[in-house]
Amino acid sequence: MLNLIRNEVTKLLLKKKLILIIGLLIIFITLLSYGQQYTYEKNIDRFENLSGAGTYDWKSLASQRLNDLEKRLDSPYIPADGIASIEIEIKQLRYFIDNDINPITPSAAKFSVDFVEQGISLLIPLIIVILAADLVSGEFSTGTIKVLLTRAVPRWKILLSKLIALLLMTTLVVLIMGLLATLISYLFFGQWGFDEPVATGFRLIDGQLNADAVILVSRFEYTILIYSLTWYVAIVIAALTLLISIIVDNTVSAIGVLMAALIGGQFLQFFLSDWPIVKFFFVTNLDLTRYLTGSYQPIPGMSLNFSIITLGIWGLLALLLGFQIFSRKDVLV
Amino acid sequence: METPVLKVTNLSKTIKKKEIIKDISFQLNKGEVLGFLGPNGAGKSTTLRMLVGLSRPSAGTISICGHGIGDDFVQAMSHVGCIIEGPDLYEYLSGYKNLELLGAMSPQVTRAAIDEAIALVGMEKRIHDKVSIYSMGMKQRIGLAQALIHQPDLLILDEPTNGLDPQGIHEFREIVKSLAKDTGISVLISSHLISEVQLMCDRVCIINQGIIVRDGAVTEMLSTGEIVWVLNNPYHGQKILSEQFQLDARITAQNELIAATDLEILPIINAALISSGLELKTVTTKNTTLEELFLSLTNQKTIQ
Amino acid sequence: MIKKIWPLILIVSVALILVFVTGLIIAIAITNGGDKNPETLPNPAETIETEPVSAANSILVLGDSIGFGVGDEPDKGIGKRYAALIDPDNTITVANLSVSGAISADLAALVAAPENAAFISAADLVIISIGGNDLSRLQYQDALSLDVTFQETLNRYQESLEATISRIRALNPEAQIALIGLYNPYPDQDPQKSQKLFEWNYQTQLIAAADNKTAYIPTDEAFKYHLQTYLATDQFHPSSIGYQVIAETLDRILNGID
Ligand SMILES: Nc1ncnc2c1ncn2[C@@H]1O[C@H](COP(=O)(O)OP(=O)(O)O)[C@@H](O)[C@H]1O
Ligand SMILES: [Mg+2]
Repeated sequence: MLNLIRNEVTKLLLKKKLILIIGLLIIFITLLSYGQQYTYEKNIDRFENLSGAGTYDWKSLASQRLNDLEKRLDSPYIPADGIASIEIEIKQLRYFIDNDINPITPSAAKFSVDFVEQGISLLIPLIIVILAADLVSGEFSTGTIKVLLTRAVPRWKILLSKLIALLLMTTLVVLIMGLLATLISYLFFGQWGFDEPVATGFRLIDGQLNADAVILVSRFEYTILIYSLTWYVAIVIAALTLLISIIVDNTVSAIGVLMAALIGGQFLQFFLSDWPIVKFFFVTNLDLTRYLTGSYQPIPGMSLNFSIITLGIWGLLALLLGFQIFSRKDVLV
Repeated sequence: METPVLKVTNLSKTIKKKEIIKDISFQLNKGEVLGFLGPNGAGKSTTLRMLVGLSRPSAGTISICGHGIGDDFVQAMSHVGCIIEGPDLYEYLSGYKNLELLGAMSPQVTRAAIDEAIALVGMEKRIHDKVSIYSMGMKQRIGLAQALIHQPDLLILDEPTNGLDPQGIHEFREIVKSLAKDTGISVLISSHLISEVQLMCDRVCIINQGIIVRDGAVTEMLSTGEIVWVLNNPYHGQKILSEQFQLDARITAQNELIAATDLEILPIINAALISSGLELKTVTTKNTTLEELFLSLTNQKTIQ
Repeated sequence: MIKKIWPLILIVSVALILVFVTGLIIAIAITNGGDKNPETLPNPAETIETEPVSAANSILVLGDSIGFGVGDEPDKGIGKRYAALIDPDNTITVANLSVSGAISADLAALVAAPENAAFISAADLVIISIGGNDLSRLQYQDALSLDVTFQETLNRYQESLEATISRIRALNPEAQIALIGLYNPYPDQDPQKSQKLFEWNYQTQLIAAADNKTAYIPTDEAFKYHLQTYLATDQFHPSSIGYQVIAETLDRILNGID
């Protein structure tokens, strides 16, 4: 079995797919980092113009805010359940002031998270589609599927080896994505920023965002969390891509079908957002990372648990169906 | 009696409500080279696909070295090497890498076995080049090596010389012939070329429109055929044949005299022709017999 | 080549899969509130329903230094004074998220911040004092530039205030909102500026009028003839008496006179 998996990994690597994906990522990340850097400088300029001749003094603003929060904490007006979130903000501000880091300064850690947060519902799925679309359909169009299936190996093992190879490569692609985003944006920003504190752990209670259980984690830990969610999305997409790749036996159609599903799904979400079925569609649930931030607009009935379970069901059904079809399919190419 | 290498019983296949293979049965014994002869669209590839498990029979059974392809796929396939409408290679890999990947799929394939297969098909020199720059002939050799690396007992080749140039065809046939002779491997080879089957096979199944219309040894089929005489005066010869032997002979445009006769009386006929003063240039069994047989067998059917 | 890196690929990706699966589990645990059980936490929606609604039980003060109570005795301010007026038994909780020096945009950001959502959704009455800093920071050279910058500032103020109210409404559709109007602490100013203040307050009233449960609390007339007593020593913020006056105005407008 390990041999079969190695074969599939070898094919994936030697098809130069990875090079194409890395190339795409480098281009995107470079452009986006440049854009962020540019916007940041623009913003600083604006602040400086606003506050007159002097330089933009974030530190005194932050200190003012910090004093204020500390005063507020002493004040008897504060309800007990609000104290936690004030303390968290104080900790964050202290960190920035003590380490002399302007909270709005872009850093590699922030960028690597921003990048996947923006890309998780389209760009990253597309990259996985590029990786996986021809996994089976490619073998059909070159006829090599016949060579694979006429060996003394049962069909489900062939498909399983492809699935595991895809899983490994998808994982590597997520790693590569993180590394590229971090390294390239570091070249632009010159800041790692991995030990900044980040607030996370917002919950939905009765459809409203609740900050009682918010905790502070370092940006490094936060990045790992975000990439874990990204990885989950990536493997679900990989499973769906594998299914389509089995069904259509030609790579171009496989990519077409998946792009239509991804883009069409976004449309569906946009136009039919009142229709309750829409929230069970996989595309609607791709944006997992929003659940970790406090800035998302709650949609009734949707939560991280819901989205993870929905995506998981989609992925499992795709695999189940994929294995069924693959082991019964007549190879007539 | 030894179990046949391949045994096909009452095999049928229906695709999209069209019955393409209609209840065919045949078998292949150890060391035999069987030709599967039929015109394009006869159902050769469809049959061979079922033999190697690529598609599922609608009815009937296939067993390879005693293992049913349906219920003991892995055991059955470990005895088979095949090229079905191939060769099918990964263009972005070298020939060697192709073989290596395939070798990794069967536990018994060693590096030495791969090298042996490469030597057998005569690809040592170019084996590390990318497949994309190979000629068709080279690809077909790698395809053959693919089918052989796990040392199968049965080799199934679907129109293996399609797309090869005459030189390539010749070389490929030589490789397969010597393989059959030296290793005792059984070969099932499909073709729409009579000459090919005649040159390579011990036995032939003629298939048309999904039915096996004839199954027998090649020499047997030929022996029912006719004799060709090349004489200085074929008309005189024709007269002798009809007068002395009551044979209905005809004369072709090439001035050949042709008549159906038993091989036993051929020396007597020849003696009579020579003693009548005719100059006998050559006497041959008509080597297009199979072709004619083939045409007569397949034509009637295609008219329907 | 591949043969050599294959073990590496295998080990790295399997290790990463473990990391990601762990990360996934942690992410799920975090969004589900870690060890805390959601059921045991106070439920803001219920709070509103289960307690008597005759008067405000929970007051939230938002805005600038006037909201904060600068110039008043310690631990007082509009919110506390109003609470004392309507409920002598002192059972009302008053939260104060005011920030000295805040302008309307700061307030909009403050109410948008998720960490403040709990306060907003728990409040029965939200008292907002904002706009004074927007207006006092006007910088201008002459009458013409005053007009221009005033208009710009006023527009921004309106936008921010509307955003603030709609955010509060999104979190808490039931709460009473009270917008404290501006008074003029500089009686000797040229009349043109007083008119600006008037225009400013008028816009605030328009915004208040757009929402059923948003009241405008005027202070200008009450302060006008009593600046000496109503202003604190800094001659800008209200004094204790000034705050008491605002609180009483608020009471009269919201609850009437018995
Ligand atoms: N996928 C298919 N769908 C429908 N008909 C098919 C399909 N494949 C082959 N056929 C039909 O089956 C018959 C036999 O085809 P095939 O086995 O490829 O012939 P051969 O290999 O002898 O030339 C042909 O008439 C062809 O039209
Ligand atoms: Mg064919």
